[in-house]
Amino acid sequence: MNTRRDHCIITIFHFGRPFVAMALLLVVLAFTTGCTRKETGEGTTIHFVTWKPNIPGVQEEIIGLFESEHPGITVVREIGPHSSTSFHDLLTQKLKNRSKDVDVFLMDVIWPPEFAAAGWALPLDELFPLSEREQFLEGTILANTYQDRIYGVPLFVDSGILYYRKDLLEKYNFQPPETWQAMVEQAQVIVAGESKEGSGLYGFSGQFKQYEGLVCDMMEYILSNGGEILNSETGKSGLVDEPALEAVDFVRRHIIGAAAPRGALTYQEPESLDLFVQGKAVFHRNWPYAWRISNDPGKSRIAGKVGIAKLPRFEGHASYATLGGWQAGISSHSKNREAAWAFVKFLTGERAQKIFALRGGRAPTRKALYGDAEILESYPHFRDMKEVFLTAYPRPGTPLYPAVSNVLQRYFSKAISSPGLDLEKEAREASQEIDRIIALGQ
Amino acid sequence: MRLSLAAREKVFAAALLTPSLLFVAVFAFYPILYSVYLSLHRIVLGLPSLGRPFIGLDNYRQLLGDGIALHSLLNTLVFVFTTTFFEILLGLVIALVIHQRFRGRGMVRAAILVPWAIPTVVSSQMWRFLFNDKYGLLNYALFRSDTGAYIAWLAHPATAFGAIVVADVWKTSSFAGLLILAGLQLIPDELYHAAKIDGASPWQRFRKITLPLIKPAVLIALLFRTMDAFRVFDLVFVMTQGGPADSTNVLQFYGYKKIFAEGMMGYGSTISVFVFIISLIISLFYIRVMGMRLFREG
Repeated sequence: MNTRRDHCIITIFHFGRPFVAMALLLVVLAFTTGCTRKETGEGTTIHFVTWKPNIPGVQEEIIGLFESEHPGITVVREIGPHSSTSFHDLLTQKLKNRSKDVDVFLMDVIWPPEFAAAGWALPLDELFPLSEREQFLEGTILANTYQDRIYGVPLFVDSGILYYRKDLLEKYNFQPPETWQAMVEQAQVIVAGESKEGSGLYGFSGQFKQYEGLVCDMMEYILSNGGEILNSETGKSGLVDEPALEAVDFVRRHIIGAAAPRGALTYQEPESLDLFVQGKAVFHRNWPYAWRISNDPGKSRIAGKVGIAKLPRFEGHASYATLGGWQAGISSHSKNREAAWAFVKFLTGERAQKIFALRGGRAPTRKALYGDAEILESYPHFRDMKEVFLTAYPRPGTPLYPAVSNVLQRYFSKAISSPGLDLEKEAREASQEIDRIIALGQ
Repeated sequence: MRLSLAAREKVFAAALLTPSLLFVAVFAFYPILYSVYLSLHRIVLGLPSLGRPFIGLDNYRQLLGDGIALHSLLNTLVFVFTTTFFEILLGLVIALVIHQRFRGRGMVRAAILVPWAIPTVVSSQMWRFLFNDKYGLLNYALFRSDTGAYIAWLAHPATAFGAIVVADVWKTSSFAGLLILAGLQLIPDELYHAAKIDGASPWQRFRKITLPLIKPAVLIALLFRTMDAFRVFDLVFVMTQGGPADSTNVLQFYGYKKIFAEGMMGYGSTISVFVFIISLIISLFYIRVMGMRLFREG
């Protein structure tokens, strides 16, 4: 290494003219920094591409622990944007260009099929045997499996949950609602009763902006009415089927501009949670992270008054929660696969997941942690949530998911924001579009 | 052998032009040609097994039958017409005001450019907050404490579209104003003195002197604004993500989604090429109109 660097420096003196030398200096600098980077001892450096976390310090703590246990490996964190969609754009650019700055990356639950089909994510079958996979929640393993091979290790799990105002439901003698109709009725009674006191209270808040979250929310209505988005066998769209149409119609008639404010059409998670923690919504649909925030007196006016329950369903059908969550994957262009796997294993191991749970409020993917006394003490609701996670179901698994999702977002947004729209016609058009996209891959 | 003066001048001119030509070739021509190349192929990032087959004009045929693309083209055109109309109108007013002599004129001129100097992403974020349904300043200004009357501006297709138009007009009117001001400053004072002596009213002076003489400047402002408005992207990206009900989806945003979110490199490039062709037509049209005018005056 040193000889090369000397060589680099000598070359500068061959060129007398300062102008040329300056230009060359830049090139040389690039060279020498390349040299020094490799000189960091005998060890390996792996690059970990992650998003900007909600709660700082947790990732750092886990990386610190890992490095002290694996003295030969240095982890360099590359921090991307917080939003899943922007993070996807950045990460796929890097992977597409076979960037050397990616060894380990985080994947949203909907990406593994795409990353697998595109050849970006390394198949982990040998490293991550079936016996080890059994330790994880089933839905999370399913989401990482594409054409019988596994491409990621589940890090934490998300699924839709119904939050409600314990105090208000008690005041009006209600049990947490089992069905969507019951939720809407309870909300009406409570809002009518409370509005006498001029509270600006709404019945419900959720995520209905035209974006990925809209698909998650709408799926919960459709599947809890016995409908489906994509038929798992034929791969055809189920939007035109009666249960799906009914569920969408329910949302546009009884949720948007009724139980929930019209403004919910502009809400992503933070805006909808904001309404809830301000004490302006009786019911709220969100992911598990909202528990910590809504019970934090510094951020919430309703701390201690929050209850959680399984999401409601339609009469005669089962409740359904959309599966979210993040996985760790390894780039197929990584030059340090062994070190990368060591890191992934550590990151998704029991110890690290416990730190993520205790300090970050993240629901673990390892089943055993749902019996951990320390975790249950801080998050008693995890015990009940395990059932939700066990029934949570991933979104359609296709490498063309982003394209399908865009069609769904467009259709759902149109359907729920225009009361006079011919739903069946729109659903048929969206279905044709989806079938055309799916056909591309066949 | 000695070159003639004219020939030497030509060589010198070529030498001076080469760097900028090279620059344009690398950073403009190459990407455009590459986009055209991509647009003639079927490339789906998520499906590398498809390869990159050459499919001729299939993508273009698909584009012409793509209802969502045509809808976003319509949105884009409406956006271009409304924003440029208001921007030129307001720009003219701004230019006439800051052309007057009054105390603190320098300050006002500088202040008026502030919106234009703010990065669009930042100002879009600001407008998103102003239009917020619960704590937006606009609702507060209109309804004060009557929170029940608050309007979710970005939740209705028509008002959401109006909101991005307002944000764009607010931001770029001053730029149009600056260009028109440059035109105003070229008009010699003698013309106004002469007209006054001839008994022309202020309105007549404006109609017969100011307007005709600032026409080239207005045309340049129009050119810049149409082209810019046609490529609107960041406002939509930050404020609405194309929603609700796809009412604010514009061509560039649609193309972005196709390439970056869906990985449809071929089809997405087709949309980019389409936007390029339309911008080219617009600019050729303006250059023809303006070029003739400038030559006649020159």
